[in-house]
Amino acid sequence: MVSGGIYSGKFGELRKLFNALRLRGYRVIAPKLEDGVIRLKEVTSFDEVPYGWEDIQAPGKYSVREGGKHFRHGPDAPKRILYPPRLELFRLRPDWSVEYPKERFPPTALFAIKPCDLASISVMDRVQGGIGDPYYLALRKKLIIIVENCVEPGATCFCSTMGTGPEARDGFDIAYTRLDDNLVVFRPGSDLGVELLSELNIEPATDEVLRKYYDALKNASLKAKAPFELERLPDELELGLNSPVFKEVAERCFGCAGCNMVCPTCFCFDVIDEPELDGGAVRVRVWDGCFSYTYAEVAGGNFRKDLWARYRHWVLHKFAYWVRQFGVFGCVGCGRCITWCPAGIDLRETIKSVVEWVRSRGGG
Amino acid sequence: MMRRKLKVAVFKFASCSGCQLQILNMEDELLTLTDAVEFTYFLEASRATAPGPYDVAFIEGSISTPEQEELVRRVREESRILVAMGACATAGGIQALRNWLRLDDVKRAVYPNPEWVKALEHSKPVAEVVKVDYELRGCPVSKERLLSFIKQVLVGRKPYLRREALCMDCRRKGNVCVMVAKGIPCLGPVVQEGCGAICPTFGRGCYGCFGPSIDARPEALASRLREVGMKDRDVARLFKGFTGWSEKFRKVINELEGGAR
Ligand code: SF4
Ligand code: SF4
Ligand code: SF4
Ligand code: SF4
Repeated sequence: MVSGGIYSGKFGELRKLFNALRLRGYRVIAPKLEDGVIRLKEVTSFDEVPYGWEDIQAPGKYSVREGGKHFRHGPDAPKRILYPPRLELFRLRPDWSVEYPKERFPPTALFAIKPCDLASISVMDRVQGGIGDPYYLALRKKLIIIVENCVEPGATCFCSTMGTGPEARDGFDIAYTRLDDNLVVFRPGSDLGVELLSELNIEPATDEVLRKYYDALKNASLKAKAPFELERLPDELELGLNSPVFKEVAERCFGCAGCNMVCPTCFCFDVIDEPELDGGAVRVRVWDGCFSYTYAEVAGGNFRKDLWARYRHWVLHKFAYWVRQFGVFGCVGCGRCITWCPAGIDLRETIKSVVEWVRSRGGG
Repeated sequence: MMRRKLKVAVFKFASCSGCQLQILNMEDELLTLTDAVEFTYFLEASRATAPGPYDVAFIEGSISTPEQEELVRRVREESRILVAMGACATAGGIQALRNWLRLDDVKRAVYPNPEWVKALEHSKPVAEVVKVDYELRGCPVSKERLLSFIKQVLVGRKPYLRREALCMDCRRKGNVCVMVAKGIPCLGPVVQEGCGAICPTFGRGCYGCFGPSIDARPEALASRLREVGMKDRDVARLFKGFTGWSEKFRKVINELEGGAR
């Protein structure tokens, strides 16, 4: 009988868990290898999850290889599912009555997502959930989450610094950890998780397994670090508003807003009204981002005309303003904006340099 | 709905007619559209023409000869809204490649009697000759954007079409970035969205047919491409292809080629 606690079992139990989700009617969304990239997509068979593959990530570079032990998240964040890039909000009929879209989301299981992505959902819960976005909440309440802890963080990961990984703390239904090819540790995080785990052939973890488990996660947490600390970071960054670092980095930036798009927490949007020929119209919400020029444009001017000001705003929003706005950092340390930046700009280096600049001037 | 039909004209200058064809390609919408729109001058569609003034004139093609300069000025006078449509009208088009060469050399290479050809020194975007109210980019122009533009004019609002980097749309669409994952050079970060990221969707880089995005920084992209090993000449070529004569790309090309123009 499973209750709270830590259990272990063979790799095959993961397959059982996957199948149990499918049997219960969940649409399962999981990592899936497609054209050389690990995506987050609907999968119908456990064999599609790329166990045995590894991704190699660096600023502006991504590849995969077979034979690796651990995969990390690819470009797609849960945001893509919970907060779709393009969403029809409603239609206006020619007689000006409003038609809302019908319920379109099936119960969904996120399977084998990473702790940083789990943390991004809890950030979204505060932001989109906090303001009561009905489109978000409709999907969110039908979501169950199976998270895979990271034994081998990637080269652009810094969840350890952000306190979001490599071990998932809370907010999941089940967390599992692959310790070796045939040893998996399971932890339930909700009643549903307990129920699902009860169907598996798993045992309370022995002392030896526990030791292995804690060692592995401790090792991992030493790796997923950025060259800065969170303590006092918001204040230090605000003292660095006039640092030349932002201008220097922005020289290399294209302003393409790719980072906004891949970031699992960036929530900005544009609302577009498309008139129809019959006199009706459609209102659509699309992802926008603070790197785009028109973003801070208003009648008569633009608050952040220069790209360096947009770059600075983004960094400060994630690491300072967000904390004051929502009580958490806006960054979960997933490193997507680093890997998927076509200019190869490394956010960690920017922050480090700004903090150094502030300290060198006796601030902070 | 009772309203006066919108008088629309379509003019062709130095171009391949691909953009005009996009209007005829709106098969599903064309019939409904003609309830609200009257094409009073559209030779690709009909021989029958009516004189101006026009509510909206779409200009396809670049301005490449003295007669064209004359004609486009007349069209401007006759039109309430003038729209430059496609890469030729907005950036000089592929034919602007000749702008980097000597006109006489080009004429001689192409025509048996070069002295018969009267051409301007440069193949120019429409905006270099007359005031342009709106631009619809692309080679060819995007049918969806064209239609959206017309619909917005019909309801009487100031047309809104996003002009940010293609990357935004590419990533919204769920494409994997070809620069990052495949090391393929892509102009998407500095090219205006609007095509639906066709090229990256098929695993190749954007070659820039929509021209520079609203606040494009092609110089930053050029340095990055050089940093990852591309030769100056190849970077210049990439920018040159479709919209190289746009002000922003032209500057980068000239810097890369070390010439002054
Ligand atoms: S940091 Fe990178 S991804 Fe973000 S806007 Fe600049 S170039 Fe694009
Ligand atoms: S700012 Fe970058 S590292 Fe932080 S959550 Fe967003 S994409 Fe991930
Ligand atoms: S493939 Fe091109 S357009 Fe798409 S995100 Fe990458 S650089 Fe931008
Ligand atoms: S991806 Fe670039 S070149 Fe291809 S159609 Fe779009 S704008 Fe044109």
